[in-house]
Amino acid sequence: MAFEIDNIFKIYQMGGVEVPALRGVSLRVKKNEYIAIMGPSGSGKSTLMNIIGCLDTPTSGHYFLEGEDVSTLKDDQLAVIRNKRIGFVFQTFNLIPRSNIFHNVELPLIYSGLPASRRRKLAEEAIEKVGLSDRIKHKPNELSGGQRQRVAIARALVNNPSIILADEPTGNLDSATGAEIMTIFDQLHMSGNTIILVTHEQDIAEHAHRVVKLKDGQVESDEIVRNGRYAAQEQSA
Amino acid sequence: MRNITDTFESLKIALQAIKANKARGLLTTLGIIIGIVAVVTTMTAANGLENSFKESISVLGSDVLYVSRTPWVHSGRWFEFRNRQNLTLKEADKLKTQLKRAVAVNPVTDTRRSIKYRSRVIDDVSIVGTTDKHIVVSSGVPDYGRFLNHYDVEYKHFVCVIGSEVKKRLFDTVDPINKKMKIGRYDFRVVGVMEQQGGAGMFGGPNFDMQIYIPITSFMKAFGGRDRDFDFVVKAPSTEVLPDFEYELVGEMRKIRKLKPTDKDDFSINQMSTLVAAYNNVMGVVVMIGLLITGVSLFVGGIGVMNIMFVSVTERTREIGIRKAIGAKRRTILTQFLFESSVICLLGGLVGVIFSFGVTALINSTVMPASISIPIVIIALAISVLVGVFSGIIPAYRASRLNPIEALRYE
Repeated sequence: MAFEIDNIFKIYQMGGVEVPALRGVSLRVKKNEYIAIMGPSGSGKSTLMNIIGCLDTPTSGHYFLEGEDVSTLKDDQLAVIRNKRIGFVFQTFNLIPRSNIFHNVELPLIYSGLPASRRRKLAEEAIEKVGLSDRIKHKPNELSGGQRQRVAIARALVNNPSIILADEPTGNLDSATGAEIMTIFDQLHMSGNTIILVTHEQDIAEHAHRVVKLKDGQVESDEIVRNGRYAAQEQSA
Repeated sequence: MRNITDTFESLKIALQAIKANKARGLLTTLGIIIGIVAVVTTMTAANGLENSFKESISVLGSDVLYVSRTPWVHSGRWFEFRNRQNLTLKEADKLKTQLKRAVAVNPVTDTRRSIKYRSRVIDDVSIVGTTDKHIVVSSGVPDYGRFLNHYDVEYKHFVCVIGSEVKKRLFDTVDPINKKMKIGRYDFRVVGVMEQQGGAGMFGGPNFDMQIYIPITSFMKAFGGRDRDFDFVVKAPSTEVLPDFEYELVGEMRKIRKLKPTDKDDFSINQMSTLVAAYNNVMGVVVMIGLLITGVSLFVGGIGVMNIMFVSVTERTREIGIRKAIGAKRRTILTQFLFESSVICLLGGLVGVIFSFGVTALINSTVMPASISIPIVIIALAISVLVGVFSGIIPAYRASRLNPIEALRYE
């Protein structure tokens, strides 16, 4: 089991009014699953992503990440979890603009306290996986959107996380580049990673093997995609 | 190990951030630079003053006690001393015979007169009546010629020994030895020139280089001695026994003055350390005020840095969000920004110290001898780092508490 979410509620206080964003969401995700979370805006998918990514904690309910209850951890404990077990890929790439590619990818390892030699090896490996070894000294603003997103993927991979959490990873890319990025995610999945895609695009979601749809803070549907693009491969495998 | 890595990385990140905003960093540090220059200059000036003061009073000798009618340093108790009897030469003689342990007892008195050589006149010069014992009790020695001797005193010779500055101003390039000069209305023959001693003139004290020494006997003959007040310069066997010796001296003086056990002393014992203590009191206050004022300028500089740190945190809200999302703890963010402000201030401090060397050189060549010491440099740099921590702590704390979700959403 990669993680298990059990009857989670998230309620925001807005000017004294309680606004529920999640109303009893439960989800069990096994290792090496490839999941898409879909839903219209306001459905609670961002909130759910924040909780799965340990950026936020639920108002009630439990979240077990690899068997450990992380729903009540403090800020700094969550930081450690995010560092070691979550790899984020954002819609807007979110690279550090002043730092070069290598340093961007190395950063999570610095926060884990690894020695420099080990950091260098792991970061170079991750950059090689996304095919940017020749750009290692470049700054983010010297790269195309697709290349930036690849750097972000390398950064997400570098600490060998339990979950890779991608929030609209192709939202800022043209469709050809978006397809390239999705190919990388497919490869990562095939090499054993657990991937959560948050998206509202149907054809992106089709890469996943399981689609969870949210509506009004609740799970509307949760189904294995039989017609998924890679379903045939998986069934034969 | 982990902390070292953390610290090193924070430092690297801080330097990167500063490099990215050079112009802003420079303007920000200006306040710190000025503040540090002010601090260093104040401390250097205080040091310089203290050194030249100590140098100038070292002429007095640390193993020497001065018996005088009034204390050198007191706080306005004039009436207490007003009725005291003058110290007389007779009392000096008695003291000489009774206080056996004294290495020397030298009575001195002084007046101010015009002096003249050929057509050159200097007004208001300090004329000191003394004896051949003078060079035993003071550290001044003749540069050339000789000092007053026993016979000069015994036979009331009208001879004089002049200070180095008197020589320069009155005789210029002429060799003054055996030349006749006028002190007041009387002719005196120059027998020696004292070596340069450095003046306490800056402190309103005597400028030893502008003094003229004549035999005390000739002094009384020329300028009158009946109602004159003398000081007795008494040299102790050593500095170690000085407190003991002072006690003895007071006892002998009380005997000479025939004081009853219940009477207060009607004379005062002065020594170098009284002056040092008085100086330290005064300078302590002056330096405190100086540092207070410079402290204010540093404070203002610090506020400037704080301001820029707030801007920096706001500008980089998103970056902070990213860092937190990929695992930076609160402390990591806190150190990153603290390092940034400390490094800005340390750089400002370094530049300030460099400028201070220039300012000090200027002071040294115009006002007084002054030089920057290593401890002052270290203190200045430590202060600038402290200012950095002080001005960075609130912005850094704010950065460390940012909610990663909101920070990531920040545009």
